[in-house]
Amino acid sequence: MTKLFLSLHVLAAIVAVGPVTVAASMFPAMLRRALGDSGDGDAWTTLRTLHRICRVYAGVGIAVPVLGLATASSLGVLGEVWLITSILLTGAAAGVLALLILPAQDRALAAPAGSASPLPAPTPWTPGRLAMVTGIFNLLWATVTVLMIIRPGSTTGV
Amino acid sequence: MHHRPPSHLRIASHVELISLIVMLANVFTVHIESISSLMGPAHGCAYLFVVIATARLRQAPTTVKMLALIPGVGGLLALRQLDRFGPARDNTEEVILS
Repeated sequence: MTKLFLSLHVLAAIVAVGPVTVAASMFPAMLRRALGDSGDGDAWTTLRTLHRICRVYAGVGIAVPVLGLATASSLGVLGEVWLITSILLTGAAAGVLALLILPAQDRALAAPAGSASPLPAPTPWTPGRLAMVTGIFNLLWATVTVLMIIRPGSTTGV
Repeated sequence: MHHRPPSHLRIASHVELISLIVMLANVFTVHIESISSLMGPAHGCAYLFVVIATARLRQAPTTVKMLALIPGVGGLLALRQLDRFGPARDNTEEVILS
């Protein structure tokens, strides 16, 4: 059962986190293009698609920590330092994605539609700031992946 | 904009309760280790998801956010409150905005 959990965990990580990192990284550049040329309807359509990819695959991505914890608990390695570090970093990455990146993308998409209203909505982030936060997210994920492979201090040969 | 509670909250609330029931049923009957391994994290993630998602809902009053903290059934209780009071509250918010 451990092998099944581990396979599904890796599969979910590849299938779910991959698209999110790519789509989230493309979003700021596309946003810059859309803001620069306001008549560019294609750019806004692409932005909406990218945001949808981020949102949907972030939801699918919940399977990654669930299956990861299931694997760890059936291997009995939940107390190991490399794993606890990875869990904390994953938590940070999930927080950055769900609480910073996705709402910021939402605001960026809502801004052109709501520009007619007299009361200003919360100001959307600049593409640069969004790019920085997305970079932090990618860096956190890369760190977790490296930790998962190197597993410093691990004694299991799995 | 949100006249009803978002669907992701609805799904997570049900996962929260169902995973708890499966987990308890498993412990008191056959106790298969791998079911515990899978359902434990699933329940924990669903619980955290429900608490954080409710806390971030703009139309949710503090009572609902506190309700969501109850283990197991908190998400469903919060949903019930949102279904009952959500639309009216949301309308007043829109009036204020416009």
